[in-house]
Amino acid sequence: MENNSMIHVENLHKHFKKAIKEPGLKGSIKALFKPKYDVVKAVDGIDFDVEAGEIIGFIGPNGAGKSTVIKMLTGILTPSEGFCRINGHIPTESRKAYVKEIGVVFGQRTQLWWDLALRETYMVLKEIYDISDEDYTKRMAFLNEVLDLEDFITSPVRTLSLGQRMRADIAAALLHNPKVLFLDEPTVGLDVVVKDNIRKAILRINEESGTTVILTTHDLEDIELLCKRIVMVDKGKKVFDGELSTLRELYGQMRELTFELASEKDIDKLTYSEKFNFAEDDFSIDAKGAEVKVRFNTDVASVEDMLSFTLSKVHVKDISVKDADIEEIIRRLYKGGGEIS
Amino acid sequence: MRKYLRLHRIFIAQDLKKLMEYKVDFLMGAIGFVLVQAVKIFTLGIMFSAIPALFYKENGTIVDAWTFNEVLFIYGFSLIPKGIDHLLFDNLWGIGYWTVAKGDFDKYLTRPVNSWFYVLTEKFCVDAFGDLFVGIVLVVYSVISMPAEIAANIDWLRLIPVAFVIPFAVMIYTSVKTATAAISFWTKRSGHITHMCYMTNEFSSYPAKIYNNVVKTIITYILPFALTAYYPAIYLLRGEYPFHLLLTVGVSIVLFIISQLVWKLGVRSYESAGS
Repeated sequence: MENNSMIHVENLHKHFKKAIKEPGLKGSIKALFKPKYDVVKAVDGIDFDVEAGEIIGFIGPNGAGKSTVIKMLTGILTPSEGFCRINGHIPTESRKAYVKEIGVVFGQRTQLWWDLALRETYMVLKEIYDISDEDYTKRMAFLNEVLDLEDFITSPVRTLSLGQRMRADIAAALLHNPKVLFLDEPTVGLDVVVKDNIRKAILRINEESGTTVILTTHDLEDIELLCKRIVMVDKGKKVFDGELSTLRELYGQMRELTFELASEKDIDKLTYSEKFNFAEDDFSIDAKGAEVKVRFNTDVASVEDMLSFTLSKVHVKDISVKDADIEEIIRRLYKGGGEIS
Repeated sequence: MRKYLRLHRIFIAQDLKKLMEYKVDFLMGAIGFVLVQAVKIFTLGIMFSAIPALFYKENGTIVDAWTFNEVLFIYGFSLIPKGIDHLLFDNLWGIGYWTVAKGDFDKYLTRPVNSWFYVLTEKFCVDAFGDLFVGIVLVVYSVISMPAEIAANIDWLRLIPVAFVIPFAVMIYTSVKTATAAISFWTKRSGHITHMCYMTNEFSSYPAKIYNNVVKTIITYILPFALTAYYPAIYLLRGEYPFHLLLTVGVSIVLFIISQLVWKLGVRSYESAGS
């Protein structure tokens, strides 16, 4: 079937061979002579499409296969099966031509040169991407305005703060005006103000240059502020693909109640299930010593009811209510049995 | 190609600047290197103070002999291609020791340049001036202090073909490092393999004739470091082994092609690392 989307992913697989080693020296020796392997299906048949100009959130719990997918899309890893095509390129087949059209930022790991001053870093990238002087000046002015690089452009990368480094990394990925920008956890470890600036910058770049953005994150706010659509993966499989609002309608009613009991023994007094008649999926309780975590569905019991019931039964030292995070949504989604789209 | 040279120039300037910044580090490195070289030369000196020359016997009769000056010359000569490789292509060491294992090789694949060239251009190893300096000093010293009857064998016209094969000798070092570093794409770490193979170059600073056939074959054809030192050096000194210069060129090209294939295949099998 003819397909004109910017990114087309079809039946993508990545299998890793993992050596099984028994513990101890004996195990090591045995593994040396008779290695046993286990095949880990990090990505196990994923399909999706992204249109030009979209910002999509690519999410899933740790170890779900997000990074592996991103690395296949960016041409770092070769798929074991299936393929992806971005703007007409198969990444590993025409790598050099392909990577000219994309920008990649890995939040956990800088791609800048540790000892180069930032300005020199951009000069090196100018050479690497064959950017003309005119384009370079224009582009630098734009990035400078959006990401505010002026204050530290003469500093060596190793002296930058994490927030500065992330901005520098994003600018480095955008200098050649790529068609697609891959952001792997761009806000990890940053403070609220920097996060906010980076999100605004991403939106502006998307609007003004029409850059397609693929974003992985664990921060629900990133998703809420940037993406209309999300693709969620777990255990190497796609479990959700659709509008964020759909997901919120489905799972947004979950809340998490956290408190510390004055006395550990009081836990038995909290008979939520009897009181509210929760179905299995609508409720869970987790107690570690005096720390208690209760997850519940607000369709069944309102926050107010839950709070007043809790406080009427036990003495608590501290109490808080928050939205279910992505991990929680995914956990429920996955338990609920596969694909909803 | 011009792009790579321009890139290399930026990094060379950078590494020279770094040299100014980390003076103590460079100085310590240089002192350490000079000490190691001094000990090696001292050992050679002690050895030769007890014997008139290094003899090679076949069936009890002496068929060849090398004087202290000649051995010193071969040793000094061996440091030149080794030093050039060290100066320009040192970054390959990191690939097998940590870059691949830590998943840092990712960054070489997200830029529109050949990943191997990119690795090479990224570092300029100023420490290598030590190898080059000691090498040139030894070559010059061993020639000036040479007894006249040995110096008489030298024909300086032979310097032309010898100078011509030096880039190929460098390529032997670089190819051995490339191929062994690329093993890490499958095994995650291969720095020790690179180290082991690289260290066979120590054999090559002595006349290849003194070794048994197994060692001789290895250092001529498999890890052909003898082609980078002994054969060209002894050709310059005595005019022996003229055809081994062609062998240096041929073997280095074959080795280079093999190392590039291993690298290309390796990159396809690269598994990155979790983040």
